[in-house]
Amino acid sequence: MLRGFFTIAKKDLRAFFFSPVFYIVAFLCSMMLSWVFPIQLAQFSEAAKNMMFQQGMPQQQLNIHYGLFLRQLSYLNLMLILIVPALTMRLISEEKKMHTFDLLLTSPVTSVQIVLGKFVAALGAVFGIVLIAYLYCAWTGFFAHFSWPLLNVAFLGLFLVGAVYAAMDLFCSALTESALGSFVMAVILNISIWFVGIGAEVSDSQTLREFFEHVSLNGHLSAFVEGTVRTSALVFLASVMGLFVFLAERVVEANRWR
Amino acid sequence: MIEVRNLTKNYGARRAIDSLDFSVNKGEVVGFLGPNGAGKSTTMKIITGFMAPTSGKALVAGYDVFENPLEVKRRIGYLPEHPPVYGDMFVKEYLEFVANLKGVEKSKISNLVKKAIEKTNLGQVQTRLIQNLSKGFRQRVGIAQALVSDPEVLILDEPTVGLDPKQVAEIRDLIKELRGHHTLILSTHILPEVEATCERIIIINQGKIVAQESLSNISSVNKGSRQITFKVRREIDALITRLSLMDGVLKCFKGNSPGSVVAEISGQDDMVELLAKEVIMSGAGLLEMQSMAQLEDVFIKLTYGSVEQ
Ligand SMILES: Nc1ncnc2c1ncn2[C@@H]1O[C@H](COP(=O)(O)OP(=O)(O)OP(=O)(O)O)[C@@H](O)[C@H]1O
Ligand SMILES: [Mg+2]
Repeated sequence: MLRGFFTIAKKDLRAFFFSPVFYIVAFLCSMMLSWVFPIQLAQFSEAAKNMMFQQGMPQQQLNIHYGLFLRQLSYLNLMLILIVPALTMRLISEEKKMHTFDLLLTSPVTSVQIVLGKFVAALGAVFGIVLIAYLYCAWTGFFAHFSWPLLNVAFLGLFLVGAVYAAMDLFCSALTESALGSFVMAVILNISIWFVGIGAEVSDSQTLREFFEHVSLNGHLSAFVEGTVRTSALVFLASVMGLFVFLAERVVEANRWR
Repeated sequence: MIEVRNLTKNYGARRAIDSLDFSVNKGEVVGFLGPNGAGKSTTMKIITGFMAPTSGKALVAGYDVFENPLEVKRRIGYLPEHPPVYGDMFVKEYLEFVANLKGVEKSKISNLVKKAIEKTNLGQVQTRLIQNLSKGFRQRVGIAQALVSDPEVLILDEPTVGLDPKQVAEIRDLIKELRGHHTLILSTHILPEVEATCERIIIINQGKIVAQESLSNISSVNKGSRQITFKVRREIDALITRLSLMDGVLKCFKGNSPGSVVAEISGQDDMVELLAKEVIMSGAGLLEMQSMAQLEDVFIKLTYGSVEQ
């Protein structure tokens, strides 16, 4: 029963690593990091030097984790908003356009297996991108001391946010036959989810604020960056993923009933 | 093996197929014939479980396509209108992928892939990327894909479209070879293809079945009339006048090739016998006599004819 799922996941994962899109995205991503990261690193070491002379600087800024990695992660989060749609835009829309979806839908696999297989493949691609960013931070380990678990938890958070984007963008890909249309929709959806966090800052009512905080991806990501893994965060992120994978599956199934 | 009951499909307000009823026995090769837009592809999409019907049902090997889709899909190899190939895969790799997808036993995969490649003559391109193949080769990869799981039922939507004449002949041979081992439905609007490969035809027009006959009986559909062609040595005009006077001969005229005479007659074999006797007695020197299946004639009358009426 699992075989159909694995076959599709393997095929799509392979398609990611055979497609120029993945390498272009990975290349651009490392270009950006190669540019931004040394600047931030220099700024941080400047600040660390100053610290020698200015006692009483806030403790947080002295820590490489907060001083460098945290900022790095918020950039990466922004980048994922664009990167993940670029990776997932073709997942379903291209199959529909090239009529290969006919093959999947007439094979002995369920639409749940198809969508889950594609989702897992997308997770693999997102993981690849996050891994590149991780290597930049891990590389500072040669000359700086920091808490590895903290860094790992922070990147786990980033990966999970990327996974939420992957689920949402997979859903967008199911909605259309055009890869470009899917990309545009996905970016808009990602940004609007990202903006939800702002609601937490501007709303007056306590319950509303709590609600926005709970549904804000950024809020959850900063909790991870601070090194806390909350069950509520895991449950929330997993249910958003589940919701959008479910919606994608419904769209695939609904196409049969037109 | 395949049973279709009262199948109807609407695309929005447009009715693509309208209460189709037919069944296909195990091992039979059935040709699906109809003009463009008749609903052939739509019917096939429903039988393969790609699409849901608006009403009615389809059963394959006793399983309802929409209650037991996996059981049905396990037994079907399907070539859609557009070959469902991935451009970024290599031919052999793609066939292995399809075999896995169809749930073929792991140990059998390499053997079945090899067979499918042999049958569709893909040996020389098996290590190439599909996106670099020509249209005809892609079509053949599509056929190989349908065969690779060695399914009980094969559903081929216009299998020879885009192939060169030699390939068309080879695919027809392949289809003849598959007869008996697989239950096969193929759609086409190429009449010689049906005559060459099918045992039975289903003609559909505007979503309705207009004829359902075994190929040998098809002329009886032609409203009781059939055409007999003779080839004679001499005295053609005299023969034509003589035959025209016979009871039961509707029309008699010169055929296309020199020395040929075509008689359109009503009635059955008795009439053919009488006609033959008459030709021999006329002393025109009979060389050849042929009773035509007249599929083309039947097809045009049943499909385009119905529009005019
Ligand atoms: N996705 C669709 N949406 C709306 N109408 C459709 C769709 N697919 C097919 N149709 C309509 O349904 C009818 C039957 O189409 P179908 O593709 O089954 O014909 P066909 O017999 O396969 O024709 P052809 O010989 O050209 O392949 C046509 O009138 C077509 O316009
Ligand atoms: Mg068609």
